[in-house]
Amino acid sequence: MTAVWRAIGVGLIALGVLAATLAVLGFDPVAGLAALGRNSVGSWYAWSSATLVRAIPLIIIGLGLGLAFRAGAFNIGAEGQFAAGAIAATGTAMVMGSWPGPVSWVATAAVSTVAGALWVLIPVVLKLRLGVLEVISTLLLNFVAEQMVSWMVQGPLQEPQGIYPQSAPIPADVRLPVLAGTRLHLGVVWVILLGTVLWIVIGRTRWGFRLRAVGEAPVAASVAGRIPVGGVQAAALLLSGGLAGLAGGLEVTGVTYSLYQNLSPGYGFTAIAVALIARLHPLGIIVAGVGFGALEAGASGMQREAGIPAVAVNVVQATIIIVALLALRKRRVAAVAEA
Amino acid sequence: MRITLLLLLVTLVACGRARPAGDGAGGETFRVGLITPGSVADAAWNEGAYRGLMAIRDSLGVEVSHVEARTPGEQEEALRAYAAQRYQLVFGHGFEFQQPAERISAEWPNTVFIVTSGERVQGNVAPLVFRIEEGTYLAGLVAGGLSKTGKIGFVGGIELPPIRRGYEGWVNGARRMNPGIETRLTYLNTFDDAAAGREAALAMIRVGVDMLHHNADAAGVGLFQAAKEQPGVFVFGANADQSRLAPDRVVGSAIIDLPRAFLTVAREVKDGRFSPKVESFGLAGGVIRYLANPSLDSLLPGTVRTALAAAADSIAAGTLLPVPR
Repeated sequence: MTAVWRAIGVGLIALGVLAATLAVLGFDPVAGLAALGRNSVGSWYAWSSATLVRAIPLIIIGLGLGLAFRAGAFNIGAEGQFAAGAIAATGTAMVMGSWPGPVSWVATAAVSTVAGALWVLIPVVLKLRLGVLEVISTLLLNFVAEQMVSWMVQGPLQEPQGIYPQSAPIPADVRLPVLAGTRLHLGVVWVILLGTVLWIVIGRTRWGFRLRAVGEAPVAASVAGRIPVGGVQAAALLLSGGLAGLAGGLEVTGVTYSLYQNLSPGYGFTAIAVALIARLHPLGIIVAGVGFGALEAGASGMQREAGIPAVAVNVVQATIIIVALLALRKRRVAAVAEA
Repeated sequence: MRITLLLLLVTLVACGRARPAGDGAGGETFRVGLITPGSVADAAWNEGAYRGLMAIRDSLGVEVSHVEARTPGEQEEALRAYAAQRYQLVFGHGFEFQQPAERISAEWPNTVFIVTSGERVQGNVAPLVFRIEEGTYLAGLVAGGLSKTGKIGFVGGIELPPIRRGYEGWVNGARRMNPGIETRLTYLNTFDDAAAGREAALAMIRVGVDMLHHNADAAGVGLFQAAKEQPGVFVFGANADQSRLAPDRVVGSAIIDLPRAFLTVAREVKDGRFSPKVESFGLAGGVIRYLANPSLDSLLPGTVRTALAAAADSIAAGTLLPVPR
């Protein structure tokens, strides 16, 4: 539970920093924060149509990255895996046409998960066979994925008129059900499901133990525990890619209903911060994801209602990450001192 | 510690609730929202919209609000947020707002959604269409008359219908002065990357292009940087008067007077005279114009000047189609 409380604590520090930033920039901090609060957590509408909708991809990607980071594998390519999942879901949706809802929801989710995992398979193979650092290879594949989306929306998946760089809207039956009067889609069920499953897997299963062992002491795990380090890391990377792909699929089937070039406002990168702040704990990641979702939804509200540019919030996000990393560092230092 | 944090959180939520969202008053105040797909500091497309919003605020004395939303998800979120707060008029500044606006318009019948460069009317969603080719034709005409190398170049952001039509107008205008003119065309696939715009311009300059035009918003700013570095190269601004970006290199700009167009529509909606239709603006109404940079006026030979005036008159009168349909 400490992870959850830490996430909240970091959030409060962030709000303080935000207030100070606003004051320095010459805006009214009270009006700004009030607008932020109203449009992120101040009403059911804000929760269900902005905060949680933005939190869903952050959490799902964050859960995957949490796994990979725990195993000591640094997947920086979630943005690209998200795009791969989005492309796959769009393509699948077009093919399926009028399959019954639940079948198509599961099918698009499955295909986009596989696509995300396949996108990270290249770095995994490069790592295992040639020792190429996955930090570099996953990062670089983001750019490839971005170009691939560009090509898709101007080529194979472009809308039938052939005018706009976007796909045709996906068939109505494939679209995820939305809670009446809100934008909250079925993806929220995935969040709860995945959060719970991963929490149990990491904390209570043999595989979870191996994962933690590999991440914390790879040499010891390999020598004393006879754990195949490469294999565990590969599995964690593939899972993290799969979850990022799933998030991309859910975004298309639950939010935008078409494939676009600029589908993600950097979810794949923000999710890294989400995972780190939560110290890779699945439940903490859910809280941190909601926190970042709220912050971004609130930022948009601040601009609408108080005329404060969204850049102010970018400053705060950066601050949060630094604060969180410092908190992490302090712990490490303490641990070393004890030893 | 935990209790303190919890209390702080509760206070924060309460703070958020204490202030009503501003929709309690019902339809009393007229409110207008603007959503731009990019930064309003682009000196062109988005800045024009923002100035339009300010013009609405100042001329009609109404409440206005602006937000930048770059991704499709954020754009729909913003459209809904304004509608949910009972804004009477919301501008989605780009074709990309057409689909989300159509999706949500049925739920919010009391809000008029205007999609700039949109496609079609549906319910309370109506497009503003700008016949930008009428302005770029005139820019092209001047370029064709001035080019010493006989080569002109155009840099587009993303290949969208209005941008393509603007390019075609530019080429047809240049051909009027020089039927054998050579043209170059590049799409950057971005509206943000000024460095890419500069590179594209430099590549064209290397093959002899001496007259440049663009429609790439913030990325187009790179063209002006490139022209400043290369002697004998001139640029034509797009969407707004861009002569200040390179005062001795910008011959003129094909402008869209977005404030005038926005104000026209806002007035209609406020007075209850609005009925959803395709609002098309061109040279005739003064929303599209070719604006020469006065400090470079001496460059233009008399023949170009006469041809420019004649073409402008014919386009406004409807006897000259810059881009034949």
